[in-house]
Amino acid sequence: MRNEVRRLRLAAGLSQRELGEQLSVSRQTINSIETEKYDPSLPLAIVIARHFNTTVEEIFHVDP
Amino acid sequence: MWTRELTARQKTGTLLSVLILLVVVVGVGLLLREHGPGNMGTGFLQGAAVGLVAFAVVLWRVSRAPDKASSFERAFTSSGDERDDDLLTRALAVLGLAAFPLTGAAAVAIGLGAEVAMVMFFLLIAQLAVGVVAYVVIARRS
Repeated sequence: MRNEVRRLRLAAGLSQRELGEQLSVSRQTINSIETEKYDPSLPLAIVIARHFNTTVEEIFHVDP
Repeated sequence: MWTRELTARQKTGTLLSVLILLVVVVGVGLLLREHGPGNMGTGFLQGAAVGLVAFAVVLWRVSRAPDKASSFERAFTSSGDERDDDLLTRALAVLGLAAFPLTGAAAVAIGLGAEVAMVMFFLLIAQLAVGVVAYVVIARRS
């Protein structure tokens, strides 16, 4: 699933480790989500969206 | 989500589990030394000691710096996030599938006259190898 996590993280000036710490997940998980190798669970997707003050739909997309 | 450190409840549970495991391992080891063939009891105790030391190292690493521990170490101690748990689940699923043909091959080898102790040793090593390789490959891909 495509996502905007990397763009949002860089815009917030955060490293993967810092974002991971803020979201209570590992740096590897953030990296896997950004490289679109791992799709987060719905609860984690909501936490990410809330963290960036946006919606899940604006961060995660499924190509038609 | 993951817990950055082991909680007091997790620590207590882990300590209790280790104590129970120790009692069981020593009990079985002594029984095997008394009634098992050859050096089976001694070998069992040595193997268990190595396993317990490895487990203690994993616990120490996860307690000291969970972010520097590997995914496997975090998942193994139930302190990992959802990706860590997912990786471990998928690796164990591969191991579970591989266990059937491996055990079948071991049974055939014994049927053809291979020494049972040797076959059991190689079966254990093969299963460990499958688990490790599956985990590493899945971790790299996800």
